[in-house]
Amino acid sequence: MSATGTRMGEEAGKSVASKPQLHVLLLEGDSADRELILRELAKGEFEITSDVVQTAEEFRQRIRDQPPDVVLSDYNLGQWRGTEALEILREEGLDIPLILVSGALGDVTAVECIKQGVTDYVLKDSLARLSVALRGALKDKKSREERQRAQESLAQKVEELARSNRDLEQFAYVASHDLQEPLRMVAAYTQLLGERYRGKLDDQADKYINYAVDGAERMQSLIHDLLAFSRVGRQETELKNTDCNEVVGAALKDLQAAISESGAVVEREPLPWLKANESQLKQVFQNLLGNALKFRGAQAPVIHISAQRQGADWIFSVADNGIGISTENLESVFIIFNRLHTRTEYPGNGIGLAICKKIIERHGGSIEALPGADGGTILRFALPAGRPADIQESA
Amino acid sequence: MTTILAEILLVEDNPADRDLTIDALAHSHWPSNISAVSDGAEALAFLRREEKYAAATRPNLVLLDLNLPRKDGRAVLADVKSDPALRRIPVVIFSTSQAPLDIERCYELKANSYVSKPSTLRDWMAAVKVVNEFWLGCACLPREEEQ
Repeated sequence: MSATGTRMGEEAGKSVASKPQLHVLLLEGDSADRELILRELAKGEFEITSDVVQTAEEFRQRIRDQPPDVVLSDYNLGQWRGTEALEILREEGLDIPLILVSGALGDVTAVECIKQGVTDYVLKDSLARLSVALRGALKDKKSREERQRAQESLAQKVEELARSNRDLEQFAYVASHDLQEPLRMVAAYTQLLGERYRGKLDDQADKYINYAVDGAERMQSLIHDLLAFSRVGRQETELKNTDCNEVVGAALKDLQAAISESGAVVEREPLPWLKANESQLKQVFQNLLGNALKFRGAQAPVIHISAQRQGADWIFSVADNGIGISTENLESVFIIFNRLHTRTEYPGNGIGLAICKKIIERHGGSIEALPGADGGTILRFALPAGRPADIQESA
Repeated sequence: MTTILAEILLVEDNPADRDLTIDALAHSHWPSNISAVSDGAEALAFLRREEKYAAATRPNLVLLDLNLPRKDGRAVLADVKSDPALRRIPVVIFSTSQAPLDIERCYELKANSYVSKPSTLRDWMAAVKVVNEFWLGCACLPREEEQ
């Protein structure tokens, strides 16, 4: 049968396969010892090729020309020592295991050699241990290399991810910029149609025009918000000493109309100074306070703004007595374009909290939504209280 | 008694934006004669009364878009403001761009003001009306420079 035949063929192939090759560089003055070492090596699982050098200069030249898989070195090399070979390997930037094969060394010397980076230490009168030492040394090296490869591949993935994020932000920015102009034409002319021709066609036509106007306006507001969202990623987050009380004051000023219209009460506790991008932080407060005003319940909104020091962070909270967020939605509200209500209930594009999250994260912080004590919502975010170096963003 | 209408040169390559601006000017307080050209080279030919524009009236106000074919709006602005015969004419930039770089560059090139094109019809109409009322009704305009 062909399947069996193939398997047998493979086994046959394996059995005739030669042993893995291993090139050994010997630093050993005594030819009899060299002979013994090579004989011991020949018993092992490797096909050994070997080379011998005597002086430090020869050694340096040889490892440059033909780097071995492993170096076996006596401790005492006449003019120099095996530990010096170790230094030369290091100077040449070569990660090659060095095993000392030596007569008895004092405990102190042996420990010192291992400390300096000798891979293993085999006594000449127990050479049988050499193959174990060799296997161990090669295994160590392999796992070192694997670790290095894993680290490199991780670093590469991180870089790829960062680049793809940058590309995406660039794309969002350009797309929304270039979409604006044709969209403005659609919006302006449908509006013009609506204004100039209202009642001159028929009811149906007026309705259709309204739909078109509404769609174009909504698209414009989406693009506007998307542009704001992508801008957070594109701009350098320049951090300055910022008085959060002032930032909240500015945000409240912009919301003055909505505050007086809803009869809202805003309670403010003293807030700290910290290193932040002032305009971005204002945007955060404006979005959070705007939400607290928008998603209000039957009674007038009561909004409480506070901050508490917790370890290295300031924990800010904006609490309201509004309609609240159901538990299963507490996380998804931060996803861009995610909305929990129809546009007729509450207008909006579902970008506000996504922008807040992005800004807070670029400041090295985090944000979460929690159910309030009496039905409302608490938006809580942490910002590092520390030095700018701690919160600097790699742009 | 004859009223001399103000002359406005509109430099705009997008027909939709051109018509909307002309419409807005027609609905503005101060009546005007509007000439429209669709690229920068034509704009300069018009202002310099070259060839087919030999009989053109020198405008009292230029509304200039920035991204134009053949000769860019910034280049037109630079040429107008460095030409002794044209430099007195108020040039209002009317562009989609809100980039600080564009705005600053235009003022450096001695634009008389920079208005970014609003995104809604209402704001567009309002912006053009403000430009019309300011430049034709409020600002004192220079006489044409004698050569």
